Order: sequence, then C-alpha cells, then structure tokens
Amino acid sequence: MTELIVQQVLNWLTLGSIYALIAVGFSLLFGVLNIIHFSHGDVSLVSPFIALALTQSLAAAVGAPASLGYFVFAALLAIILTGLLGVVLDILVIQRFRNAPAMMALVATVALGIVLREVIRNGFPNGSNPHPFPRIASGSLDVGGFMIPTFDLAAMLAAVLAVAALFFLLGNTRLGLHIKAVSQDRDAARLMAISPSRIFRMTFFIASAVGAVGGLFFSSYAGMARFDFSIEVGLIGFSAAVVGGLGSMPGAIIGSLLIAGLDTLVQAVVANGASYRLVFVFLLVIAVLVFRPSGLLGRTAIEKV
Amino acid sequence: MITNLSVASRKAYRPLTTVALVVATETVGAVFLRQFLLAEDWRLVVTLLAIFAAALVAFERRPHLEGAIASGFRTHRRFATLLGVVLVALFPFALEKNTYALHLCVVSQLYAVLALALNFQLGSANIPNFATGASYGIGAYVSALLALNFDVSFWIALPAAAIVATAFGFLLGIPSMRTRDSYLALVTIAFGVVINQLLNTLDFTGGPNGLVGIPAPEIFGHSFASPLVVLGYELPPQANFYYLSAMLVLVAILFADRLHNSRVGLAWNALRADELAARCQGINTTWYKVLAFAVDAFLAGFAGTIYAFYVGFISPENFTFLVSVTIMTMVIAGGMDNILGVLVGAVLLTLLPEKLRAFSDYRILFFGVTVIGFLLIRPQGIFPKRLRRYEV
Repeated sequence: MTELIVQQVLNWLTLGSIYALIAVGFSLLFGVLNIIHFSHGDVSLVSPFIALALTQSLAAAVGAPASLGYFVFAALLAIILTGLLGVVLDILVIQRFRNAPAMMALVATVALGIVLREVIRNGFPNGSNPHPFPRIASGSLDVGGFMIPTFDLAAMLAAVLAVAALFFLLGNTRLGLHIKAVSQDRDAARLMAISPSRIFRMTFFIASAVGAVGGLFFSSYAGMARFDFSIEVGLIGFSAAVVGGLGSMPGAIIGSLLIAGLDTLVQAVVANGASYRLVFVFLLVIAVLVFRPSGLLGRTAIEKV
Repeated sequence: MITNLSVASRKAYRPLTTVALVVATETVGAVFLRQFLLAEDWRLVVTLLAIFAAALVAFERRPHLEGAIASGFRTHRRFATLLGVVLVALFPFALEKNTYALHLCVVSQLYAVLALALNFQLGSANIPNFATGASYGIGAYVSALLALNFDVSFWIALPAAAIVATAFGFLLGIPSMRTRDSYLALVTIAFGVVINQLLNTLDFTGGPNGLVGIPAPEIFGHSFASPLVVLGYELPPQANFYYLSAMLVLVAILFADRLHNSRVGLAWNALRADELAARCQGINTTWYKVLAFAVDAFLAGFAGTIYAFYVGFISPENFTFLVSVTIMTMVIAGGMDNILGVLVGAVLLTLLPEKLRAFSDYRILFFGVTVIGFLLIRPQGIFPKRLRRYEV
C-alpha cells in the first residue's frame, strides 16, 4: 500500500515538474508581453524532434550507433535551438501583434501552433507517426527502502534547477531587472534606455528554452515523440499558468502541481480514469476560475471610476 | 470614444446606376462562387483566389467604389434582399448536378450560421468564446440521440436540440460573469474540451465511434434522401439540405440584424467599448454577457442538428477545439460585427481547405499560414465593422 502511494506521489511530482516547465513560460511571456502566446506548447514540443534529428545526424556523422551520450549532447543543443525558434517566431509573427487587440494575438498564435505542428508532420521524416524517444535516465535508486526511478528524480531536478535559475535571473541580475521594468511599463523602460524589443526577444528565448526542457522530459516520459502531443500539453500548460494566475511564476508552479495531482489521482482512483482525466482536469480549471477569477495567485484588477 | 454615432453622409447617385450596381455586385458574386465551387484544377483555384484578393485590394485603394456599392445596397434594400434570395434559390440549378459542390454549399451555410452565432459574442460584445464547436456538438448529439433512441422526427428534434444547447450556453455563461479576457477564454476552452472528452468516453454517445445511421428528415412524405424534382428538373438529394440550411442562414441573418439594431445589440456594443462605462449607464452587463452565450448556443444547436441529419453520422472528431478555432477565424477574417463580412469569411474559409485538396498533406498548413497572413495584412477583416447609422 505505502509502495503504491509512494509510486503515485512520485508520478504526481514528475508530471507536475514537466507541466511546470511549460507553464512557467506561458506565465513569463504573459507577464512581459501581456499577450497569450498560445503556441508556446507547440514550440516547446518541437525540441524532441530537433533532438531526435540531431542524434541521428550526429551518429551518422561519427559513424557510430546512436548512444545516450550523443543524445544528451543533442538534447542540450535542441534546448538552445528551440529557444532561438521562439525568438524567430517573435520576429516573424508575434511582434506584429504587440499593439493589436488581445484576441487577434491569441488567434494568431493558435494558428501559429497549427503551422508548427503541420511543419513537423510534413517536414520530419515519417512525421505523422509516433517516434520512439529514449528515456533520459533509466534504472532506479534505493532511497530508504523505496525504489525511486532515476527518471523521476531527473525530471524533478531539471524542473527545480530550471525554475531556480529563472528566479535567480529575474530577481538577481541586470537582465531580470530590465525584464521587470519592461513588464511594468514599456514606455518608462524605453526612457531608461532599455530596449523593449530586445527584452521581448530575450524573454522569448528564455521561455522557449525552459519549455524545451519540459518538452524533452514529456516525450521521454511518454516514451515517444508525436507531432500532436503539443495540443494537450499546450492546453494543460496554459491552464496551469492561468489557474495559478497569469504572470505569477509561483502561481504557474502551484497550478501545475494541482493539475498534475488531479491527473494522477483520477487515473489511480476512478475506474476508466485514463479516458476521463481531461474532463476532471478542465472541470477543475473552470471551478478555480469561478471562485478565483484571476487565478490562485493572480492580481485582481480592480477598476475605479 | 465616439464611434457609434455618425450622421450618414450620402452622396446622391442616380437610381438607375445604383440598381445596376446592386445587380452587378450580386451576380458577379454568385458567378464567382459558382466558378470557384466547380473549379477542379488547382491553378484555376489559385487564379480565382488571386482575383478575389485583387478585388479586395481595389476596394481598399478606391474607397468611393465601396461607398457607392454600399449606398446602393442601402437605398435599394428591399430589391437587393429579394435579388439575393432569388439568386440563392436558383444557385443549385447552376451547379450542373455536381453533388460535391452542393455538399460544400451546405457545409458553408452551416458554418455561416455558426460564425453568425459567434459574432454576437466576439464581434458585438468582444467576449472570447472557444466553445461554439461544443454547442454545435451538443445540438448534433442531442438531436441524433432523440432520433435514434426515441424515433423523434427531425422537426421536433430541431427545436429540442436548440433548447438543450441553449441551456448549456447558460451554464457556460455563469462562470463568464466573473472572469474576463484570457481567463474567460480559458473557461470556454475548458468547457469545449470537457464536452468533447465526454462525447468521446460516455457509452450512450457511442464513444470515439460516434453515432451512426441517423435517418434523413421527411416533409410531407418527401424524404430528404431522395432527389429533389423541381418543374421536371432533378436536383441531387443534397439540394434538400441546401434549401433547409439556406432557410436557417436566412433566419440567422434576420435574427442577427434585428438583434444588432435593438437595445440588446447596442448594449453588447457598449460592453465592447467599455464594460465599466456600460455598467455606469445602467446596463446589466452580467445579463447581457450570459445572453450572448445563450444566443450563440441556440443558433449553434440548430446548425448541429441539421449537420447530424445531413451527414447521418457524427463523432467527437467533428466538434473539437479546432472547429471552434476555425469558426473564430471566420469571424475575425470576415470582419467582426459585420453580418456580410462574417458570411463571406465563413464561405471562404470552408471552401479554402476543400479546394486545396490538390495539396492534400499541406492544406492544414496552408490554412494556418492563410489565417496568420490575413491577421497580418488585413486585421480588420474582409469587411470591417461599420459605424452605426442613424437617420433623422
């Protein structure tokens, strides 16, 4: 019994960590740009495909069979490339919607997500079918009598490290200060010689790179990379950010843990839970927003006459 | 921001020229649509699209041309409507019994109704709603279940499904009282996903396989599955549904027009302009928001019923989040709060992916690129929203 509970708790934390890596990006981008970058989930889940392609070409270039070492190297490269992809998308499309109504930007990024998915489906060899994806860490560790899979530990560690780095960056560096300045008042920041466009691009790079880590772990968790994973993962990441309160980093993490918790609970407790999990998750989202219309940690905008 | 009040400044055109303009516009539109529907070769399709784009650019460059046509339609409103109805009624006869073209017409008309439904919210009141696809699905499933399990006829299932869909619309409207903007968008997305997942998993909805064998409607002993014979000319069975959905579009247009020109439409516009100011003017914002959801669901329920009985087979695949996004794109690309614009957007975006079958694998990609291109190049839509006109 305890073993089962420990296993479920581990599953919860692993899934929560993966969701958090993606949700944090949604929240960060909203906080700085004040628009919803709906294709963030799709950008994040491009990384597994980049990693797969790089592993194969690396192995082909060296002439040795693909091993985990190549894979780790390829994954690191994929994180950087995905970050750059975010910047490119901002330059090509999203920056043109800076001053447009919020709905325009939302629909444009939804369409952008469709484009990204279709590019993978048509551009990647055999893209419509699932591709097996290696497990980032295998085996398990014995901690106080419980066998804990190293993959779970790796996912949690990655999430903690990424989030800690993000907090450090936002709280303790000059760049973080600039990001905060731009998010609070774009024009005032420009008067202080901070270029908002540069900050937006940096934010896109950071958010997309962190999302890429999440994307890699998600594919590794599922054991495969699929072009249409990003619909569900993107929606869940977005929901987690909104439930926590858009623009709030701790909120995004709490939201992710909440959603992952319900997700694992439903799958463990409810009969045929696997097919009902999304129903429960999104009912939770609606319920939270009914009682806390700006999310759990969101700032409530009070309008005064 | 004073946008709602503008005194109509009208240039005098000779009546005969304006009548000719109205006739020319409507016939050219109908002929263009016919050629587009019957075009098989992708080169022809692309050429026709280019002509359409060129026409749009011409209108943008020469605003007085657009003004002349618009004023023609205003002065000869009755005549323009009558001619439009006649053209729509005669249209199937011009399609050379091409069942696929007729099928596309039916689907376009259903999407036109859905887009008009969403326009109440997105266009008039600026409420994001990603759940129109779900209301469409509720309408389709309720009517199909009634027909399959209780042998209810189409004509009773139609209002019943609309009422159930409206009830769900109210249900969705309740959380909308408190949330707004992105948060509200997520509530509607969540609602859509919940409905879709339930349809996908519940037993009585047939799960992922959906419902099969929905009987064709009948009227005065004439089954909709049999060919329609008018004055000795035989039209394919799809024509039955063509006229049925054309009726629905007509009802939806009347509905939309009356609402737009009523206190309700004005209240929605006030909500769009400034919610707080609207509240200060004594507008019950909560009620009007919920009403927008209910009206949307009501019309979507109708469209869903016709779809279910037309295709005879429905599955959760037909009512996903992407369907809602498509409907939303139709409203935005066509022109928010502009009935004609929304209709054109719906027809164009229904036909576009179908006509691009030559690029089979790439058509969704092309669709996404088109949407982004549209938003970048003409963000106000094909027909931008017009100022309200009050005539003294």
